[in-house]
Amino acid sequence: MTGFRDRTAVVGVGYTPFSKDSGVSTLTLAVQAVLAALDDAGLTVEDVDGLATHRVGDSTPPWVVAPALGVPEVTWYLDQFGGGSVSHGVVAQAAMAVASGAARTVVCYRAINARSEFRMGGTGRAPAPVFDAQYQAPYGHFAPPQQFAMAARAHMNAYGTTHEQFGRVAVTQRANAAKNPRALKRDPITLDDYLASRWIAEPLRLLDCCLETDGACAVVVTSRERARDLRAAPVLISGAAWGGGDSYFSGAGSGAGGRTDLTVTEAARMAPRLYASAGVGPADIDVAELYDCFTYSVVVQLEDYGFCAKGEGGPFVESGATAPGGALPVNTHGGFLSEGYVHGVNHIAEAVAQLRGTAGNRQVSGAEVALSTAQPGFVLAGTSALILRRDA
Amino acid sequence: MSLDGRPRPGEDRDSAPWWKAVREHELLVQECGDCGRPRFPARAVCNRCRSLAWTWRRSRGTGRVYSWVVNHRAFLPGLADEVPYTVVLVRLDEGAEHDDDLLFYGDLVDFDAAELREGLPVEAVFTDVPGEPATTLVRWRPRR
Repeated sequence: MTGFRDRTAVVGVGYTPFSKDSGVSTLTLAVQAVLAALDDAGLTVEDVDGLATHRVGDSTPPWVVAPALGVPEVTWYLDQFGGGSVSHGVVAQAAMAVASGAARTVVCYRAINARSEFRMGGTGRAPAPVFDAQYQAPYGHFAPPQQFAMAARAHMNAYGTTHEQFGRVAVTQRANAAKNPRALKRDPITLDDYLASRWIAEPLRLLDCCLETDGACAVVVTSRERARDLRAAPVLISGAAWGGGDSYFSGAGSGAGGRTDLTVTEAARMAPRLYASAGVGPADIDVAELYDCFTYSVVVQLEDYGFCAKGEGGPFVESGATAPGGALPVNTHGGFLSEGYVHGVNHIAEAVAQLRGTAGNRQVSGAEVALSTAQPGFVLAGTSALILRRDA
Repeated sequence: MSLDGRPRPGEDRDSAPWWKAVREHELLVQECGDCGRPRFPARAVCNRCRSLAWTWRRSRGTGRVYSWVVNHRAFLPGLADEVPYTVVLVRLDEGAEHDDDLLFYGDLVDFDAAELREGLPVEAVFTDVPGEPATTLVRWRPRR
């Protein structure tokens, strides 16, 4: 899919503050982030004709946000059901809408009170009534850390991946967050701190888990031509992919002999399509913002997006390759583990800052091409990702 | 340790017969009426031959542990008195025999989680859970 390569751009990013208790509605958060993103772009509400979001029954849809803002006319909107796995697909679909002419300026937002209102997987909220939950929930298995712990254990069994390697992800990202004024967690941690943190769903500890966060983040998508007339250096949406097919229960999975292999994510199947859409490969990526709902998801995506061989994600992290100055700096803002968790969109916003060259003392020198990814697809059978590029 | 606080399965119209059989202490899988492929969970179509014809077949109920999680946190208040609790993912033997993969979640009886390993042979047992509504859980114990 190369039909919209470099035809659209991200021209604005906006955030609310991140907290554990915003004290306001998701509508208020959405409106604040959308206005901040428009301001960053040098645009106004009058310029907006498209709005898009993803949610799982926990937020405010475009058809409420648009009239709240007084958007004159919405010509395209997307109210995508789904969690982090669809986050980058939402922006990709906005790019398609702009490239097709369905809309001229689309704001993609995610607004959640993920700590004070709707904690994912508990406590107290009943599991979602989805097709396969009935076979898991009676065993007390339904929360995201449990799902990822099952895959992490399989990876440890198959490849000898260690707790210390997961810990290196957490420690490195916390050091990155120390340079990010927006980050919720900025105090450095050591590997010993990591190893001393309490078990949540073994093999995952507290410091393996992202921060349940109240907040919103938004990005503005428009055409490349229009982007070139705007305030900031355009960041082109160079490639995108989304999709899926497998699940725990599909049978005939992607593993050896048709088995379901928990150590392989949907990203492994999607990555070739993604790279082809942008005409680049893993070696061209200067900085990667990899969906880090848990440390393990970083390790497995390093493999599945082709930065190292299958099973080598742990040693790759341990080598320092993903730290600042390494071959592939990862989650330069601290990621969901330390900056905050806005369900994918704050990864895109950080990639934009890196490509604009405005990331301050966490800037990756000379960054021209960035990968930003969604939840790699254990729980729902899909994922999505974007390749962004600094306009030449 | 009481199981009364366990979430009840949200049966759907495809799965109701499967849960009814579990309450009668039978483990069923579907079998495609055309290509003979077994499948679980219950669903309307074979994703290989796309046949809509199927029958229920009684499973031998033996498998091997693929992966597991030891939960140190109760994610629902009703599970608080069970912490720490282990959840296993079991690969049914019959799946492998049919070039397929039948995975079941479950918990362990008569076994210490510290001794878990990939490939551990297990067999299904049934535990009736009182309360409202009453249900039955498929659980797993080591085959000796």
